[in-house]
Amino acid sequence: MSWITIVWSINVGACLTLATMYLAVWCRERQSFVHLLFSCIAASAALIAAYELQLIRADTPEAYGAILRWRPLSTWVLVLSLVAFTRLYLRAGRSWMALSACGLQTLTVIVNFVFTPNLYYGEITAVRQIPWGGETASIPLGTPSPWSLLNQATLLLLLAFFVDATITVWRRGDRERALIVGGTTTFFGAIVAAQFALVILGIIEVPFFASFAYLGIVVALGYQLCNDAVRAADLASELQVGEERFRRVVEAAPSAMIMVNHEGQITLANLQAEKTFGYSREELLGRPIEMLVPERLRSGYRDFRHDYLCHPQARPMGAEQELFGQRKDGSEVPVEIGLSPIHTSNGPLVLASIVDITQRKLAELEAARQHHDLAHLARVSTVGELSNSLAHELTHPITAILSNAQAAQRFLAHDDVDLDEVRDILNDIVTQDQRAGEVIHRLRLLLRKGEPQAQCDDVDLNEVIRDVVKLMRSDLINRNVTVDTDLAQNLPAVTGDRVQLQQVLLNLMVNGCEAMADHYSSECRLLIASQLQNGAVRVSVTDRGGGIPEKNMEQVFERFFTTKKEGMGLGLSVCRTIIDAHRGKIWATNNVGSGATFHFRLPFVGVGKRQ
Amino acid sequence: MPAPLGPTVFIVDDDEAVRKAVSRLLRSAGMAVAVFASPGEFLAQYDPVTSGCVVLDITMPDFDGLQLQATLGEKGSMLPIIFLTGHGDVSKSVQAMKRGAFDFLSKPVKDKDLLTAVRAAIERNAVARQQQAQLSAIRARLDSLTPREREVLEHVVSGKLNKQIAGDLGITKATVKMHRAHVMAKMGVQSVAELARLTERCGIRGNGQ
Repeated sequence: MSWITIVWSINVGACLTLATMYLAVWCRERQSFVHLLFSCIAASAALIAAYELQLIRADTPEAYGAILRWRPLSTWVLVLSLVAFTRLYLRAGRSWMALSACGLQTLTVIVNFVFTPNLYYGEITAVRQIPWGGETASIPLGTPSPWSLLNQATLLLLLAFFVDATITVWRRGDRERALIVGGTTTFFGAIVAAQFALVILGIIEVPFFASFAYLGIVVALGYQLCNDAVRAADLASELQVGEERFRRVVEAAPSAMIMVNHEGQITLANLQAEKTFGYSREELLGRPIEMLVPERLRSGYRDFRHDYLCHPQARPMGAEQELFGQRKDGSEVPVEIGLSPIHTSNGPLVLASIVDITQRKLAELEAARQHHDLAHLARVSTVGELSNSLAHELTHPITAILSNAQAAQRFLAHDDVDLDEVRDILNDIVTQDQRAGEVIHRLRLLLRKGEPQAQCDDVDLNEVIRDVVKLMRSDLINRNVTVDTDLAQNLPAVTGDRVQLQQVLLNLMVNGCEAMADHYSSECRLLIASQLQNGAVRVSVTDRGGGIPEKNMEQVFERFFTTKKEGMGLGLSVCRTIIDAHRGKIWATNNVGSGATFHFRLPFVGVGKRQ
Repeated sequence: MPAPLGPTVFIVDDDEAVRKAVSRLLRSAGMAVAVFASPGEFLAQYDPVTSGCVVLDITMPDFDGLQLQATLGEKGSMLPIIFLTGHGDVSKSVQAMKRGAFDFLSKPVKDKDLLTAVRAAIERNAVARQQQAQLSAIRARLDSLTPREREVLEHVVSGKLNKQIAGDLGITKATVKMHRAHVMAKMGVQSVAELARLTERCGIRGNGQ
């Protein structure tokens, strides 16, 4: 059998096989037009190879001309497909070049069918049989048509288009595609162009074999598409492994994990989610996430979810806010939620990691209760130290009441009763009784234990200062201590437990007095000042005692640290606990002259709430 | 203060209500009272001629009851001081006692206790004032003596005879007699024994043993 027939047939077969394969691929994936275009390229290359085989076998000029006449049509399909493929697959090549090349190619087809016998020859005078590789092949003899220049121009423009596209892709960094697709196309395109020119002008005497150049292009493109397919398959399997791993990690996570799609439906829930909320997975999947939110919080939650989808970012949910979930049985569970958005082609998903913090809340409550108990203990102890003075505070009104009452009895025993006097006395008795009542009330407030975290009012620190100074009045007199106050006007209120704040101030004042007594200060004066500073209210208690040794500056707030013989070392540590719980800060400094100053700072109402 | 005619009770207490109530109680018993919010206020208006007593709160800011007691002592005041004390003023009370406080009453004070104490204090003050007045009168008489008469007096009260006195002083017996008569007249006494009692109260002792 003739090798020419075999080789050209193999060429046709190969191109057709590839064309069929990729046509099948396109049929499965209708959006991937690249595959359809490649299929067209391969099919038209097969057709060209078939024409060439017929040309080699043609024995009359008429037959040769007739076959050659049909050839530009398949070239047209090939060129248009190739240009489209380049634009679509490489996303390169100037559009004006592409359009011009396609236009010219169309023109050549039209011209081809206008003139006889075809575009390439004005006339084919004879067909010569030449020996070629041990066989004979037909080559045409005739006058080249001037229109064939049009074909050459088209080819040159196409080459320019491919070179330009290749350079663009190369510069973009995708060198593999630039070399395989752009490079081969350009290379084989150049061969086609050269061969046409040489054969038609009769410079070399060989049959047309451009189909092999096309085959080269088809193979290169096919190879690249195949590469892509392999890579896509790799990615897909990796993705599957990744997804499986993701599911396992999610499943094994110690916290409940729930994935929600943009419509708020649950698309994934792990084992812990089942345990936390008491629903089985089947009951959760596809249901709205709202079913896990307590009724009272649902409307707020919907707004939140909407906002979150507008600005998705990984972050904890509801900062500074306590969050609750709802179990199947309707009970609420305190939770902490971390959110991470996942972007997919099916819209944004949100992965929520939900931690049941019931135990932690209980521990926090227990700790708060212990702090509260300790603060109470310390307060009772401080008040105990002041008991003498406090008794004194009661002595005054009681003395006044007794003397008034007995004076009244005596006045009434007189013959001419001065009723005005008696009226005055009774008024005074009432006033003094109220005064005694207030002392007892203040004392009872201080001694009362109350509930932890319950007493959160807006507290005016100036009022606290005045209350404590009143409470300590007798004690200060006994200790011969004078108190000066420098209180800022219009001080904003702070949020907190009034009694605990009184306790802090009471402690600081008693400490100041004791420091001055230990130091035998010549002038015992305490200065209590309040001021607004950097968005916080600051209170300071300045004494004229011996100051604090630098090495003890930090220790003074530690539990069980004391310099007093009978001290327990609780006072200041409790002060710090209280101030910390109020989100404030307490610290001590030594004065320039003598003595020390204790300061505490608390954020005022509105600073923390506004967020 | 407008010097009251009779004895006055001076109340010094920093607590207005207590001050007012105690003053009422004393007024209800018909006593004249004057009230002061601080020892300083009292001292500013203190007049040594006034009679009566002081009812003083032992614990006051700055200048307390003890300090006022000390200051009055320095000024030679004869006003007896009744201290009103609260609980836990034991150490101060002891100090006050050592300095001669008249009485201590603990707050709240019963009317009978206070009035009894105040009356006793006024009485004591009156006696003291009377004694003081007598003493002043004797001193005035003593001051009216000439130096020689004074010498003679000292010898007389030590029990010497005119002859001995004349010998001691280097004057005649007749002159001694004359001086002696002047002394008895000026001192307003009839007998040597009476004279000796008066001079003894003034702390004058006999001379020329």
